[in-house]
Amino acid sequence: MDIIVCIKQVLDHDIPPRDFKVDEEKRAVVPPANVPPIISNFDEYAIEEAITLKEANGGKITLLTVGDESSRDSLKKCLAMGCDEAILLNDSAFEGSDSFGIARILAGAIKKIGSFDIILCGRLSSDWSFGTTALALAEALDLPSVSQLQKLEANGDTLRCERVLEDGEEIVEVSMPCLLTASNEINTPRLPSVKGILMASRKQIPVWGAGDIGVDTSQVGAGAATLELTKLYKPDYSTLCEFIEADSLEEAAEKLATRLREDKII
Amino acid sequence: MFSEDILTEEQRMVRDMVRGFSRKELAPRAAETDLGSFPEDAAKKMAELGLMGIAVPAEYGGGGVDPVSAALAMEEISAVCPSTSVIFAVQNSLVCDPIFAFGSEIQKKEFLRPLASGEKLGCFGLTEPSVGSDAASLQTTAIRSEGHWRLEGAKRFISNSGEADLCLLFATTDKSLRHKGVSAFIVDMNSPGIEVAKPERKLGLGGSSVCEIRIEGAEVPPECLLGSEGQGFEIAMKTLDAGRIGVAAQATGFIRACLAASVAYARERETFGRPISDYQAIQWKVADMATEIEAARLLYLKAARLKQKGLSFSGEAAMAKVFASDAAQRAGSEAVQVHGGNGYMRDYPVEKFYRAAKAAQIYEGTNEILREVIAKHLME
Repeated sequence: MDIIVCIKQVLDHDIPPRDFKVDEEKRAVVPPANVPPIISNFDEYAIEEAITLKEANGGKITLLTVGDESSRDSLKKCLAMGCDEAILLNDSAFEGSDSFGIARILAGAIKKIGSFDIILCGRLSSDWSFGTTALALAEALDLPSVSQLQKLEANGDTLRCERVLEDGEEIVEVSMPCLLTASNEINTPRLPSVKGILMASRKQIPVWGAGDIGVDTSQVGAGAATLELTKLYKPDYSTLCEFIEADSLEEAAEKLATRLREDKII
Repeated sequence: MFSEDILTEEQRMVRDMVRGFSRKELAPRAAETDLGSFPEDAAKKMAELGLMGIAVPAEYGGGGVDPVSAALAMEEISAVCPSTSVIFAVQNSLVCDPIFAFGSEIQKKEFLRPLASGEKLGCFGLTEPSVGSDAASLQTTAIRSEGHWRLEGAKRFISNSGEADLCLLFATTDKSLRHKGVSAFIVDMNSPGIEVAKPERKLGLGGSSVCEIRIEGAEVPPECLLGSEGQGFEIAMKTLDAGRIGVAAQATGFIRACLAASVAYARERETFGRPISDYQAIQWKVADMATEIEAARLLYLKAARLKQKGLSFSGEAAMAKVFASDAAQRAGSEAVQVHGGNGYMRDYPVEKFYRAAKAAQIYEGTNEILREVIAKHLME
């Protein structure tokens, strides 16, 4: 079973809010000093699922990411977790691509790779949370896609997928090749082992540019983006402490629940 | 601050992995572990990740990393859970490393493999009730008897001994020969004649057991002699030389924890309408901690690099250990001070590092003995 996992390197969001800074003029988040970027959270679940599938069925896992040289760190971490190969898609023409541009770049790389059974992605990225790139990629490759998986079982040529929905779950079957997106309920991502790190540090990561994957540069990058960011700012937030007065715990709980509902928190 | 450029990609990856492991697996239980429970789950996970024999080559079941990576791993664990860092230090520096360095091929297969894979836990039996720094005066004896070594005596303050399966135990075959009479034995802790007393109650590091081992006529087969007869003192000294790189990295981790907690607290805590981070009295304390972290780290990295290159590192390791553990003791005290009354309470993490740092000034060579070691290198 050959699997392609598409990942994204993002700024570490697990930092104190006071360290999160936005350059409103440039409409960009300022990378925090001395905090290395991380693999987008949901992508780690996609990687873990790919490794689990490989352990059960054999095959090869190829990683793809669109990013600059610093993305090598995230690719190496995924290799150390148990993936086999990684390719960095880096070209100045790719800078400023929106989700659809990224999907076109990934599609070009996947066409160059050729055969595969499954493409796995995270359900959305933990920076912008659009959740569009994976599905746009399925569209670009004309593949069936199933999103937000909380469980995956391989039965011969078909895959039984359990999707997380807001009010329940949905079970669908899909044939391969296909694209799947993983939700955080699906597994617990492993840490790379020391042995895995040593193996990964010896692996080479090739770089493919627009020319290598036959991508039309007018279709990607900032110029091709259909989404325009008009303003980026850090919302003001303040905390307010309010005590719920009541004679008994039960009454206090009821009052609290009512209050939270009034404020549309629950 | 600390330049990433001086580390290789592999070293950075090992450090980052252990940092992730420590935050995820050790941090939630660090306070509980400190109060006296061996972190069994953590030890199991460390074994799965290859951390229980981190520098032992993969062919013997270990992780196979270089001394720099091993020391960086130590700093990461120590910055979160001092007790677990002791378990890691003893298993790696004091047990796996000497068996790899001095063991025969058969000993490596039989004893090192289960240790390095984390299936078995080891301890280092050198200190005795009346012998600490003066290791040439060991009172525990090993006498040849009917094809076995018969061991008699006692060991004291042995870290990990409450849970250990094996002990690298030092005994003298001839007291008159002083250090030349000392031999090292790999002893099964379940052997008849080996009895582990109940754990000592101590100032800190509660999750790592420290017990006395009573040895009454324990029979050890000849194949369990590590190195040659009379080589034990050399094995002990070389092991402790390398172990000090680990203690230096450990103490660096302690200072880091003190700094991080102090900065976070100082930014939140307000007095007279201002966060205490605005006050110079607090700023100087954190500035000193940050400076000493950088210095301590560079010292242990230098010693680890010398070791990696196969060069002499004894003096540098001693300097690194003395500097880092003394600095950790200061940082612990100042971090508690920054936290005021809160710092003295167990609800806040800093007093744990203050108590742990004291041990780092004592074990694997007291800082007083190590200053003598450093001076000896200078005067030779």
